[in-house]
Amino acid sequence: MRNISLKQILSGVIAFVLVMIFPLVIKNTFAQHVMILFFMFGMMGVAWNIMGGYAGMFSFGQVAFFGIGAYTSSFLLITYHVNPWIGLVVGGLVAALVGAAIGYPCSNLRGHYFAIASIAFGEIVRTHFNNWKLIGAAEGLSLPMLSEGFKNFMFHSSKLPYYYIMFAFLLISLLVCYLISTSKMGYYFRAIKESHDVAKVLGINVVWYRLVAIMISAFLTAMAGTFYAQYVLYIDPESVMLLPISVQVVLISMLGGAGSVMGPVIGAVILIPISEFTRVWLGHKGTGVDMLIYGFLITLISVYQPKGVWGLFMNLGKRTK
Amino acid sequence: MSEQLLQQLVNGLLIGFMYALIAIGLTLIWGVMNIVNFAHGDFLMLGMFTSFWLYTLYGLDPILSIPFCTALLFVIGVLIYRFVVSKVMSGPMLAQLVVTFGVSIFISNLAVYLWTPDFRLISKPLLSGTWVIGEVQLSIPKTVASIGSVIVSLFVFLFLKKAKTGKAILATEMDREAALLMGVNTERINSFSFGMGAALVGIAGAFLSTYYYIYPQVGGTFGLIAFCVVALGGFGSIEGAFIAGILVGLAQTLGGFFFDPAYKYAIVFMIYLITVWIRPQGLLGW
Amino acid sequence: MGRKEDKMGTKKLWVAVFAFLLVLFLSVSVYAQTKVIKIGAVYPLTGNIASTGLDCKRGAELAVDIINGKYDLNLPLAKVEGLPNLGGAKIELVFADTKGEPKNGMSETERLISEEKVVAIIGAYQSSVTKTASQATERLKVPYVCSDSSSPTLTERGFQYFFRVSPHDGIFARDQFQFLKDLEKKTGQKVSTIALLYENTEFGSNVGKEATRYAKEFGYKIVADVSYAANATDVTSEVGALIKAKPDVLMHASYITDAILFTKTFKEMNFAPKGIMTFAGYIEPAYLPAVKSDGNHIIIRSTFALDLAKGKPLVGQVNELFKKKYGLDMSENAARSFAAPFVLADAINRAKSTKSDDIVKALLTTDIPGDQMIYPWKGIKFDPKTHQNIYAQGTLVQVQDEKYVTVWPFEAAAKAVIWPFPGWKGRK
Repeated sequence: MRNISLKQILSGVIAFVLVMIFPLVIKNTFAQHVMILFFMFGMMGVAWNIMGGYAGMFSFGQVAFFGIGAYTSSFLLITYHVNPWIGLVVGGLVAALVGAAIGYPCSNLRGHYFAIASIAFGEIVRTHFNNWKLIGAAEGLSLPMLSEGFKNFMFHSSKLPYYYIMFAFLLISLLVCYLISTSKMGYYFRAIKESHDVAKVLGINVVWYRLVAIMISAFLTAMAGTFYAQYVLYIDPESVMLLPISVQVVLISMLGGAGSVMGPVIGAVILIPISEFTRVWLGHKGTGVDMLIYGFLITLISVYQPKGVWGLFMNLGKRTK
Repeated sequence: MSEQLLQQLVNGLLIGFMYALIAIGLTLIWGVMNIVNFAHGDFLMLGMFTSFWLYTLYGLDPILSIPFCTALLFVIGVLIYRFVVSKVMSGPMLAQLVVTFGVSIFISNLAVYLWTPDFRLISKPLLSGTWVIGEVQLSIPKTVASIGSVIVSLFVFLFLKKAKTGKAILATEMDREAALLMGVNTERINSFSFGMGAALVGIAGAFLSTYYYIYPQVGGTFGLIAFCVVALGGFGSIEGAFIAGILVGLAQTLGGFFFDPAYKYAIVFMIYLITVWIRPQGLLGW
Repeated sequence: MGRKEDKMGTKKLWVAVFAFLLVLFLSVSVYAQTKVIKIGAVYPLTGNIASTGLDCKRGAELAVDIINGKYDLNLPLAKVEGLPNLGGAKIELVFADTKGEPKNGMSETERLISEEKVVAIIGAYQSSVTKTASQATERLKVPYVCSDSSSPTLTERGFQYFFRVSPHDGIFARDQFQFLKDLEKKTGQKVSTIALLYENTEFGSNVGKEATRYAKEFGYKIVADVSYAANATDVTSEVGALIKAKPDVLMHASYITDAILFTKTFKEMNFAPKGIMTFAGYIEPAYLPAVKSDGNHIIIRSTFALDLAKGKPLVGQVNELFKKKYGLDMSENAARSFAAPFVLADAINRAKSTKSDDIVKALLTTDIPGDQMIYPWKGIKFDPKTHQNIYAQGTLVQVQDEKYVTVWPFEAAAKAVIWPFPGWKGRK
């Protein structure tokens, strides 16, 4: 993506300005909430993309990192009164370490095997957290209602600070992804995705770079987890460690276009509002119609536009096998 | 203590046979088309509901509903292949992974829409009750399901080895291009295999409905375990799936009993991870 | 040339459709703004626990019907239409689906308050969802009356705007041990060892914690503490662990699916302690139809049973209305959710206002006498600090002949309890 056209820069600036003034104009808190979710899932999608779309490791276990981030910062806050911002960084580091620890033995796994291993990983972590009395086990952790403020990473009277913080996080992750994609590391990732053997021949340390991809991905996902905890003020394994969250992250990236920086963002912009609004409009009847539509759309997109919406934009053409 | 051990062993086998039956269909699809069918658990659910409705509306015992489940699920499988899966066969792997997720969400919520999320149970199946052999209690429905599983697996195994279509399937599994060159209509084989995979898990559903509760999301846990079983056994290998199913059943029950029932699924996943680290292609995979 | 015309034609059609929909939408929302007081109700209406959520919805809706209409029943505001102190204003329940997820509990509550302009919230059945939903109401300073979540922690947070009408699991756990002591006093049958079995989310593990606490207080020994995942495919290892421990009594906290699975597995493996005492799942409407006679002699904590009608005809009358409206008998879940709208309507009526702080002030002076409610309580009155209903208590029901029969407290019992558990043999 070296040559960014003027058109793209312009549309980027316009989008940025629109996002920034959105909550000042639209006071509807539900709409703000949907945007916050969009940022959060967008960030997780970008994080996933780094290890999945670029390095070829299709992880269905991202929720484990999300949960580790949320739990680490919350636990430190509740038990040791550690400032959540510090907890954020610690959570990211813990997630990165855990990711590396699991990623290392899985270095030879590819494709479906890796995917299932990541599911297994996610479930093992969830089961463990469900039974770990130290961090509340199934009861979860309730964050204390501290006085509002940036320092406490907690706001009660308005969603706006949450909105801008999450947006900033998303921008950070996009920046990281962009830097990676245009750097040598990005090149290595792509080579690894194509073929381990070819990469090795090219002198790339496959194992090491896979771990790097996992660690970056884990750190960013954990940041989103800490944000969630500070936003909802209550976490339990059922809400921050469930498999469907991992699946949603993959779907977002795939829909938008895996392997491209902006792909997951586009995917999130489409899928998150759909899932939220269909639930609001149709969910209360209890008939599952909202999920029906959701499932149908995912199937449709996989079939007709598997390169994602971004693929449409970039006009990459269809890959013929 | 030892009677408990024997009891748990027996129970582990009984549930293992069920896992094996569920996994066989999945491994077939996986082996032939390299598609992980995330909707597999939902096919199981459809099989269970088919038995339930035949029982409730026509009084047909679940065991007798097996031919219907087989036929219905076969057709559903073929249709889904034709209209959905075949279109992503030439697309990126991610699309293949995700499309069956979409189908899964669609089917399970269609079930919610049509039949409500309530739990159903077949209250008086023909074969129910418990055999008591010494100190061990054998649930009759589970035992019948296990015997059924063995029979069906044997049938599939022989079918693949002896029947013309079966051999074509095996050939496609091993080397798609070569099979194509040898005149095998791989598209037809794909279609047939998908249908067969669905039919097999439909049979499992009929058996399962004799002792487990039925509801739209029932495919969830069973499906997840089935993936571990298949990957453990080695994708594409029927014998592998069968053995792995039993191993997983035993691991779950014995692990839960000796260690902590809360961790029993974690133990299954751990075993999967460890096996795959040591031997990435699974026990009997190639 | 033809195509351009077509395009224009289609465009016009779309504009027309859009305009029509806009008018429809506006007219509907305008219509909805006539004299109503909106109360938000958050429940899991889709997802795994949807059948329970829909059950709760039925209870709440019936309550609102009675409040809004004129009924000759001894329930608050039943005999008049609507809220008399506010010119007969009617209550409108606005439902939102949480899908059973805490984050949706929060976002739906916020949405109901800021978009739908509800003046109060009820719900959410699952304690983990009630937690986040009530955090939202506390932040936004809106009253929340909960009558269907049982986690003790909900009233231990020092919240100003959250009130709970129904008993919590601490009370229920204490009841079960009190029953054992009463049983010993009455029949001389002694029990010494308890096994705890519970599903491993917030609900079950809290029950486990409370039961452990009360066991110690009452002097019983816990010989097994087994937790499990609610949607397990098979529970033979769990039951094996219970058999190994040889307890006198089993206490089991479950949802509906695991209640069914465990009942079948208990029978299969012939696990028959002197008593099987349970929470929640066994009293769901789907349980007895599923297990039929296998449910017999199991004891469940409850706040409601149809046989209370013997001592309190009001229960029978309400059940008749419920049956007329929905075609089923009232279940315990529906009965619990039935309470909150009354408590709120009564408070709003006395406050003569829909402002949050006025409602909260009124709630703090709520004093609804027991005979005006369908539960076996002395009444509804909130503790000034915790906002827990001080009169809330449970009863124990036992399944006899596939029906729920109140067996404790002994003074309120409709029939005598069958103890010890007669075993599994000979059931059809």
